[in-house]
Amino acid sequence: MSNQALVDAEWALSHLDDAKVVFIEVDEDTEAYAGNHIKNAIALNWKTDLQDPIRRDFVNKEQFEALLSAKGVSNDDIVVLYGGNNNWFAAYAFWYFKLYGHGDVRLLDGGRKKWELDGRELVSEVPSRAATKYVAKDQDRSIRAFREDVLKAIGTQNLVDVRSPDEYAGRLLAPAHLPQEAARIGGHIPTAANIPWSKAANEDGSFKSIDELKALYESAGVDLKKDTIAYCRIGERSAHSWFVLHELLGVKNVSNYDGSWTEYGSLVGVPVAVGDEPGTA
Amino acid sequence: MSGCGAVVGGVSLDNVDISTQAVIQGIVSKDGQPASVGYVRLHDKFDEFVAEVPISKQGEFRFFTVAGDWTVVALVPGSNSRTQVQATLGNVLDVDISLS
Repeated sequence: MSNQALVDAEWALSHLDDAKVVFIEVDEDTEAYAGNHIKNAIALNWKTDLQDPIRRDFVNKEQFEALLSAKGVSNDDIVVLYGGNNNWFAAYAFWYFKLYGHGDVRLLDGGRKKWELDGRELVSEVPSRAATKYVAKDQDRSIRAFREDVLKAIGTQNLVDVRSPDEYAGRLLAPAHLPQEAARIGGHIPTAANIPWSKAANEDGSFKSIDELKALYESAGVDLKKDTIAYCRIGERSAHSWFVLHELLGVKNVSNYDGSWTEYGSLVGVPVAVGDEPGTA
Repeated sequence: MSGCGAVVGGVSLDNVDISTQAVIQGIVSKDGQPASVGYVRLHDKFDEFVAEVPISKQGEFRFFTVAGDWTVVALVPGSNSRTQVQATLGNVLDVDISLS
């Protein structure tokens, strides 16, 4: 697959020692990076580095600038993100870098899983990068949706729920690699189509072909001329689908609702649908 | 807010009320030894992907789900397998997978 935003292992291998290319592994659990990682890669923690420690929100512009400055990332560096969980958190970080206006950010196709399954080299040495003075832009709100945007979109614009069918229907409250004791209600936002993120990926975590991705959304009846809001449980799986739509298929009017089901499913007074059908507005 | 990230080997059973869970767990072996690198995916009865965990250094994996028919897909460098299982609420189902 040829796309500026997506690089493959061969491209990565030829740029591992390029000082202007910064590989960043993004995970929720940094145990993987601490064990081993792609040569010269640094790490970002999806939660502790990119989320505000108190409020449920992102770190602000100044905090993001301080983070990347301390990590030794410059504004003119090519940032290549990869990670576990089929690149969920790397895609989330990609969206995040776009949100703060980084110039050239890319995703390694297949992430850590494909790299490991292909038997490619991982190292334990942690590189040191000199501190920089990173300058972020104001958040690009066109790619971030809030609950008011979601409520307005019910029945009028595209809502795409990218969780598994059982989570969409309300039969599961969380992905099956997590205990199912969550207290929030199950279900989905009425009129949302269920297009699981996993349908866009091969078993090794790489993205399916452009033709397959186009067919995926067309067959689900999603009119991409309308605005589209993607959501999941906390916004990282939907960042993966946002990447597919925005970066691989070139759909510009698509945003990610990072509040996702953990916010919407806890709101008082909003409509909720359960079962396998989208429901009505 | 907790994340959606998969814990290596799966979340521990400690402090989890098993009576409300259908647990599917096991060990992936390659050539008679626990596999140290690989992934296990859980697919539903329609073969739709539901979840995935990286296996632990001892080849372990664990899922928490609901009663029903599931397919456990193991991926290790150079080989993979599919195993159909039936999980029941309140029980821990052990599924050991041997690959060559």
